[in-house]
Amino acid sequence: MTGGGTSVELAIETQGLTKRFGSQTVVDEIDLAVPRGSVFGFLGPNGSGKTTTIRVLLGLAAATDGEIRMLGREVPRHLSEVLPRVGALVEGPGFYPYLSGAANLKRLDIADRYAPSSTRRARVDEALERVGLTQAAGKRVHAYSLGMKQRLGIANALLTPRELIVLDEPTNGLDPQGTREVRNLVRSLTAEGTTVFVSSHLLAEIEQMCTHAAVMRTGRLVAQGTLDELRRAGRKTVVVLTPDRERTHRVLEGLGLVPGEPQHPTLQRITDDDRAVGAPLPEGMSPDVIVATLVKEGVRVNGFAVERANLEDLFVALTGEGFDVAQ
Amino acid sequence: MTHAWKRWVPAVMVPAVIVAAALTVPLAANATASLPTKSAAQVLAMIAQSNVKALSGTVEQQSNLGLPDIGSLGSSVNSSTSSALELLAGTHKARVYLDGATKARVQVLDSLAERDVIRSGNDVWLYSSSNNTTTHVALPSRTGKQPSQTPGVVPTPAELANKFLAAIDSTTAVTVSKDVSVAGRSAYDLVLTPRSSTTLIGSVSIAVDSATGLPLSVDVTARGAKAAAFSVAFTSLSLTTPSADLFAFTPPKGATVKQQALPPTPPKGEKPSTSAKPSAVTGTGWDSVIEVPSSAVPTSLSGSSLLNQLTTAVAGGRLLHTSLVNVLLTTDGRVFVGAVSSEQLQAAAAGK
Amino acid sequence: MSLSDDSPRARPFAGLSLLGSELSVLFRRRRTIAMLIALAAVPILIAVAVRLSSSRAQGRGPAFLDQISQNGLFVATVALTISIPLFLPLTVGVVAGDSIAGEASAGTLRYLLVGPAGRVRLLVVKYLSAAIFCLSATVAVSVAGAVIGIALFPVGPVTLLSGDTIGVGESVLRSLLIAAYICVSLLGLCAIGLFISTLTDVPVGAMAATVVAAVVSQVLDALPQLAWLHPWLFSHYWLSFADLLRQPIEWGSFGDNALLQLGYLVVFSALAYGRFSTKDVLS
Repeated sequence: MTGGGTSVELAIETQGLTKRFGSQTVVDEIDLAVPRGSVFGFLGPNGSGKTTTIRVLLGLAAATDGEIRMLGREVPRHLSEVLPRVGALVEGPGFYPYLSGAANLKRLDIADRYAPSSTRRARVDEALERVGLTQAAGKRVHAYSLGMKQRLGIANALLTPRELIVLDEPTNGLDPQGTREVRNLVRSLTAEGTTVFVSSHLLAEIEQMCTHAAVMRTGRLVAQGTLDELRRAGRKTVVVLTPDRERTHRVLEGLGLVPGEPQHPTLQRITDDDRAVGAPLPEGMSPDVIVATLVKEGVRVNGFAVERANLEDLFVALTGEGFDVAQ
Repeated sequence: MTHAWKRWVPAVMVPAVIVAAALTVPLAANATASLPTKSAAQVLAMIAQSNVKALSGTVEQQSNLGLPDIGSLGSSVNSSTSSALELLAGTHKARVYLDGATKARVQVLDSLAERDVIRSGNDVWLYSSSNNTTTHVALPSRTGKQPSQTPGVVPTPAELANKFLAAIDSTTAVTVSKDVSVAGRSAYDLVLTPRSSTTLIGSVSIAVDSATGLPLSVDVTARGAKAAAFSVAFTSLSLTTPSADLFAFTPPKGATVKQQALPPTPPKGEKPSTSAKPSAVTGTGWDSVIEVPSSAVPTSLSGSSLLNQLTTAVAGGRLLHTSLVNVLLTTDGRVFVGAVSSEQLQAAAAGK
Repeated sequence: MSLSDDSPRARPFAGLSLLGSELSVLFRRRRTIAMLIALAAVPILIAVAVRLSSSRAQGRGPAFLDQISQNGLFVATVALTISIPLFLPLTVGVVAGDSIAGEASAGTLRYLLVGPAGRVRLLVVKYLSAAIFCLSATVAVSVAGAVIGIALFPVGPVTLLSGDTIGVGESVLRSLLIAAYICVSLLGLCAIGLFISTLTDVPVGAMAATVVAAVVSQVLDALPQLAWLHPWLFSHYWLSFADLLRQPIEWGSFGDNALLQLGYLVVFSALAYGRFSTKDVLS
């Protein structure tokens, strides 16, 4: 399940990236491969090491071991050349409460020694407009709501044209409307050719805006690839809709399958007697063989389907815990 | 990341360099070219022939006499007594300006304050910034002597050295030790060692400027001690004539001005003077014990609470003990002073 | 992307503009303004108190306290003398202790570093802005002292500690020297505060530790048993600005003080560099 071969140009690439705090391993030998131009979802439950990974990528924390390449350059050795091309929102926004939103952006833009001062004002205004904060530009951040601060944090990442934008939990504190805006924003960034690296503990968010994803579980990378690749990786299940439940079980067992209750049957019952029987489809077995055998054994087949496990099932299986699907 | 320790190199190197510099710079400054060998007599002759008329310099006096901290004893004490005693403890810095025999200025540099003695011709001005008081003393004309040992003033090394040199007699062994460097000047180290084994004083070391014969420092070491208990030394010295403005003193506006006649004797509390006239001296040389009759002792002295705190009760009176000098105040009001043990003072007191 | 492969070009004088931004953030804070006003209030309170009390309390406190009523030019000096043991270190401790820890606690440190501001550059800028605060704190006391002194008291020739008298022009010059001396005196404490600030993400802790360092140094300086240590304490020469009120000026303490502060600056800057350049920014 590795996404992208050597031919694909990578925006972020790590090999054996490890971060330990004392004896505690927070990031454990992860090999990230984020292709350029992708919207890359970095998924994992809270505390799985996502934010620490992002801190190490951005040079805020030093890796204990492993190698990192960002935008083709080794990091942290070439950090000062890489960072100006990267916009970031790391673990929530951080601003001076006694300064206005615009003044905060101006200060952070000055900190970027590659950002031209002549266009600063225009760029700040434009970034504020992109996140819908033009009205609140002159207000002190102190008076901002959490959602407004989050938008301001995103605006900071957009101050100059970036090749890579790292957004750590960008929809935290945003209402559904704001979440939708962030999705649209990410889409518009991708249209400009920017690679977007989004971390989240929300599956729905990743599923809706990402082309690629990686899944973290207690510091380890357990899956990585395009969303399609990940979906394909899920086990296929055959579902039989039949009144002859017990006979179906026997036939399926005879074929070497393990029948049980299907998790999310999509087939609609035809008669009141119909019951859904599911079984994982073994590798290499053709579904038509199963139908033929069932019919031959006299099972009344009122419906038959091959279902692919959805991403949520996959992630539950990978991480061992559920995600908050709703906010 | 693997070279994170390199970032700590400056944090280790910088203090190391500073410590190294702090250790080597004074050594380098004190490194003295070896001077032509001179005998003690030749060095004494150099001092006698010394003809330094004008100088400006900074003198530091350090005493570690084993006295308790005077400043911590409270402010209820008589200010002139405590001021004089205060000069005997701790470290004091003074600037000294001399121009000929009749122009002198000594400034004792206190924290946020200053005590000045300015002599110009026959006028001597004493100024203390802490109480903004000026005292004017008119010297009798034709007195060429310097106003030495003025209260509240640190002695110059030359003044102190002359006192010791004047007292050289057969009880003193005079030798020349290794060359030293004082205030950046190379100097001969003249060492006076008492032949007596009963005096508290182990040795007196006088650094004599190799170029001019001017005494640059005096260190008095107690018997058996390694570090000096009392020292007076130039920390900087320039032999150029100081600006004439320095000796022209007008009392500042608003200052209290007192006129005072020439004091007949140096006041108490100073180093025991070997020439206290109304006193009887027993013993010889370093073992001398000076007896001050009760009539000459100020009555305020016996009841002073400061003195009670400084002294301890011994048989026959109270004893003020320092590492160089003992002072016994007998119950009948007499005072015995000597650079000898308390037993010898008590014996002298009992002998009378 | 047009930026793709060639390395971006840095603005010239980016450090200076960061310093400018730092100063505008520092001096736009209400807290900074309040501290400067509080410092300026010290000479005003002294002057008003002396003006209101008709009888002069003789022999208490530094002698030149008495001279205020005779000469307004002394107000600034007296105010500085009173401020240097606690008030000035307190405000400097707040600014220096807050420098890195404050950014860390506000969450702005990570954005400055990702900016990228550069860790060393940020450290230098933070130190310079704290040093500029030292200067403005000293100037606040001096200027307020001079203004209120001239307003409430007669102005005339000034009596120095040596008993000599100097004219108004020279006394203004010496006041400037004293302000410079005190500003220099605080630079070591600034470096200590900056270092402590890199150790923690809790600004109040760093501020308190810096102020405690200043107090401890002064307490140690007052213990005669530790005389060997005294010349190494950063507060040792704080009151020696009085040497600028002697005739002639005793420059020795000015030089010793500058050298001592430079030593503290270099040592603690090196420590701060070691700490900050290897620190994991997790706030």
